[in-house]
Amino acid sequence: MVVYALIIINKAGGLVYQRDFVEGLNKLSINDYLVLAGTFHGVHAISTRLNPLHGQTQTLPQTNYTPPSRPDPPSGIEVLETENFRLQCFQTLTGTKFLLFTEPQQPNIEKIMATIYGLYSDYVMKNPFYSLEMPVRCEGWERRLVREMRVLNSR
Amino acid sequence: MVVYSFYIFDRHTECIYSRLWARQDRPLSTGTTAAAQPFSGSSEASNGALPPDLGPARARPARLSAKDDAKLIFGTIFSLRNMVRKLGGPDDSFISFRTGQYKLHYYETPTNIKFVMLTDTQTLNMRNVLHQIYVNLYVEFVVKNPLSPVEHSGGEGVANELFELALDQFVKGVL
Repeated sequence: MVVYALIIINKAGGLVYQRDFVEGLNKLSINDYLVLAGTFHGVHAISTRLNPLHGQTQTLPQTNYTPPSRPDPPSGIEVLETENFRLQCFQTLTGTKFLLFTEPQQPNIEKIMATIYGLYSDYVMKNPFYSLEMPVRCEGWERRLVREMRVLNSR
Repeated sequence: MVVYSFYIFDRHTECIYSRLWARQDRPLSTGTTAAAQPFSGSSEASNGALPPDLGPARARPARLSAKDDAKLIFGTIFSLRNMVRKLGGPDDSFISFRTGQYKLHYYETPTNIKFVMLTDTQTLNMRNVLHQIYVNLYVEFVVKNPLSPVEHSGGEGVANELFELALDQFVKGVL
């Protein structure tokens, strides 16, 4: 099991966090990471518009009481597969995107993502000195994230 | 497994062939009002009022034309391809991406012709299928056609009868 890197993009498409855990992906300059984050943000938005089944709603099995439901808004890119790595994208309800780069056959990515999101809410969002939408510089988060990923990668 | 659409882009970034199979162009409003209908009697009595008209999920501009769709798809695959090459090295290439609604498969030939296929999310890897389409259909019926031009500007020479027929059969056979 190998988790290569984590990137966090804020809701405006700005890069707020980037970290490599294991060698495997090319090293880019910080400027390139910023460009990459912006590009992905745009592509993610476009990919919601490409839905070939636009305007078709799934009919749920009708029970006695069906709450008034509106269809889920189309989601953007969730998984991107390439020859050398796999990119899982998780978008929170507030629009922050977590990009996790793993090896192509990585199992249980959802679970890893949930762990990371938990750490993020505990050690970044609850940190009173963290200003929203700004680059993440929190020692507790950094330490626990690296420890968690080291455990995963050594399995 | 459902194939929604198929596109070919040439090395000048132009869409030279597109084919749509399943595309429901029903207006969004009919779908949502139908979904809001099934209210049980008890809830309606407690509400007293009519169920609120929820309207479309989000106010979006009208559906794009097929031509604009092709342009958006090209932009997407172009950006993703460059991103993947930056991160994974120059000989890495991206295979597919999946959203909640569809999956996009991608194959690029050494001559920079790009084959794109949109399918449902359950579909497994379609890269070899796209490769087969290139080798067995595109090369045979388009490249080897003595009457077709070298550059297919405006899709000229690609959408010939044999290619379309064979593609249709091939996609139906894959399903």
